[in-house]
Amino acid sequence: MILAKLALGTATTLVFATVYTFREGTIRVDVDEHHDGGAHVHVWAPAAVAPMVLRFVPDDKLREATDHAHEYAPLVKVLAKELRRYPNTTFVEVQDSEEHVRIRTVGRKLQVDVQGADAEVHVAVPLSTINDLVEQIAERTPAS
Amino acid sequence: MNPAFPRPARTLMVLAGALLLVPVSLLSQTTSSSSSSTSERWLHVRVVNTDNHGETVRVNVPLEMAEKVLPAIDKDRLHKGKVRIEQKEIEGVDLKALLDAVRSSKDGEYVTVQGSDNDVRVAKQNGFMLVHVTEKHTPTKNGKPVEKSRVEVKVPMKVVDALFSAGKDELDLVAALHALSANGDTELVSVKSEDSTVHVWLDSKNVSD
Repeated sequence: MILAKLALGTATTLVFATVYTFREGTIRVDVDEHHDGGAHVHVWAPAAVAPMVLRFVPDDKLREATDHAHEYAPLVKVLAKELRRYPNTTFVEVQDSEEHVRIRTVGRKLQVDVQGADAEVHVAVPLSTINDLVEQIAERTPAS
Repeated sequence: MNPAFPRPARTLMVLAGALLLVPVSLLSQTTSSSSSSTSERWLHVRVVNTDNHGETVRVNVPLEMAEKVLPAIDKDRLHKGKVRIEQKEIEGVDLKALLDAVRSSKDGEYVTVQGSDNDVRVAKQNGFMLVHVTEKHTPTKNGKPVEKSRVEVKVPMKVVDALFSAGKDELDLVAALHALSANGDTELVSVKSEDSTVHVWLDSKNVSD
């Protein structure tokens, strides 16, 4: 009986931890370079972690990286909110003899796919995470 | 069978297992989603370059989204969904008066210019403003000019009205988009040149052909 209670306790904790961590979905980054010694990067991280990580970035470094955050924050926020209404839609597609680029929503994620002769890059970020990140960046960077 | 755990313990463990599956089902719900409403109006842009790379660009934008996103852009002359026109650009032409004149006039051809380099035609027809521009090459040996590019623009008059509804020095893009959404499937812009074609059109599909 003690073992069962222990199992239930562990499982419940795991459930809540998993629900909390994955409630926003996952951020996925895949980079594959098609040449000898080319990089192969595959990152699959819970989206909830991104705003947490951002909190550890020093203000001055954040400011350098997001110089015009205030200018673009309202646009990105509206865009992220509106894009949720159009799941599984390709908004921009560019294709030529060497490259194929797609910007689309897949479910509630914004996905950018670049397929080239030399490399393939796929980035998928939950729209809610984009919103959280932009809000946090705008809060922490002074308006110019 | 001699179970390792008594019945209540097994029940608890099944419950725990079920709980573990909850996040998985939640995650799967977030990835499955419905497609957009069929009544939605979409603006499509397709650019096809026929050069060596054969580049094709497709842009699909729901008008409703564009209406909400545009006011959030505050850059250069674009502010709250309106574009400011510099007076020097229109060189003293009263666009509003010009538009009023066109609106109150009957259908017909207003401007026809036939030159050696360009043919221009501006007309009003069945509630649409039509602008056709044909750019020509300099005459060939046989003396006949060859068509270099052709631009055809077809804009509903209501959209033109909405565009100029903001004031003398502004174009109201959001009002124009709103007026555009009331229209049926329409080919708005078509450009054909030697090395590229451009199409801008409106329909209710969320993909371009």
